[in-house]
Amino acid sequence: MSVYQINKILYLTDNDPDFRKRMKEHPEEAIKPFSLTKEELDALTAGAVGKLYQMGVHTFLLNHLYRYELFGVNRDNYLARIREGMQYDPRFEQGKMPVQYFVKE
Amino acid sequence: MAKLVLAAGVPHPPRLVRDIVESPGKTTGEALMKRVRQYVEKAEPDVIVEVDSDHFVNFFYNHLPTFCIGMADEAQGPQETWCPMPRYVVRGHVPLAQALYRYGVHAKFDLAAAHELRLDHSLVVPLHFLNPAMELPVVPIYTNGFASPLPLATRCFSLGRMLRRFIEAWDGKERVVLIASGCFAMDVGGPLRGWTDTDWVETISRLLLRGQYQELARRATEERIAQAGNNSGELLNWITVTGAVGKTKPLFLEGDEGSGYAVWECE
Repeated sequence: MSVYQINKILYLTDNDPDFRKRMKEHPEEAIKPFSLTKEELDALTAGAVGKLYQMGVHTFLLNHLYRYELFGVNRDNYLARIREGMQYDPRFEQGKMPVQYFVKE
Repeated sequence: MAKLVLAAGVPHPPRLVRDIVESPGKTTGEALMKRVRQYVEKAEPDVIVEVDSDHFVNFFYNHLPTFCIGMADEAQGPQETWCPMPRYVVRGHVPLAQALYRYGVHAKFDLAAAHELRLDHSLVVPLHFLNPAMELPVVPIYTNGFASPLPLATRCFSLGRMLRRFIEAWDGKERVVLIASGCFAMDVGGPLRGWTDTDWVETISRLLLRGQYQELARRATEERIAQAGNNSGELLNWITVTGAVGKTKPLFLEGDEGSGYAVWECE
């Protein structure tokens, strides 16, 4: 498992302005240098948050997918996607994603 | 002889500063931060020691210490673009940090040390309110509250006790304020985002108010913390602080959803 590499992609997106720019403009190019398995690559590029969650990607880092709207993930679909494959839980009813505000770079 | 004069615990909501600008006088966090600030000001401190958990800004899985002392001359933050608040330069207190590092290692705490720091919102949001204009130097103590395996809560409690012994043994005149940064229970980015584990929050609040700190440390297993959401390991920073306050009970403890605000007077 190279979940570490996915965590690293998400960590760099949040912390490295140049990498973030590349992730926003050409994400599939930006992730090429990372050694991901086919399963990981497919899950990441499909924005399959639930699958990535089940693989063990850290949820705080997964959150960056919606913060930076990568691979089709956004505020409106993040929770539905991460819950894919999970049984219904009444606690889901209280779930909401906060509005994000960014400092201008 | 230095002295621990005050301890406090506060959360670090990344949007609190903006919320206050947009709706002044309307957020619970604004009133509670002001209340804690009054006690910090009255304590006339010379230095702040802040116990905090980095959120993958200063540390990542490539180098991930369980406990780390920050000993940079100065550092900048918050670094996250999604934290709408002023950017600050925070001064360190290198002699105190170095002495704490040495004292801790000799007391059998295998601490790490960091001479360069990128500060995240969890370190800077409390300072924005409690250390206006960043007047006071700050020594960060990082606990790994985020990436499993977390340190044992009982070990964090012991770390706090060692910290108190260190402060009292430190050959200086500093008046020290100790701050825990963190919530009690919260999920950010996990499937239970938005839900609050109120049972756990109530248990924590009750044990803190009664001064049953070791009981809290025994109950705060990694499993229990994980059930309450991925940010809930920040409780370890509070538990570290309870190790330093001895038998003193909090002067007040006010809850705000999954978070708490508290002050301990220590002199």
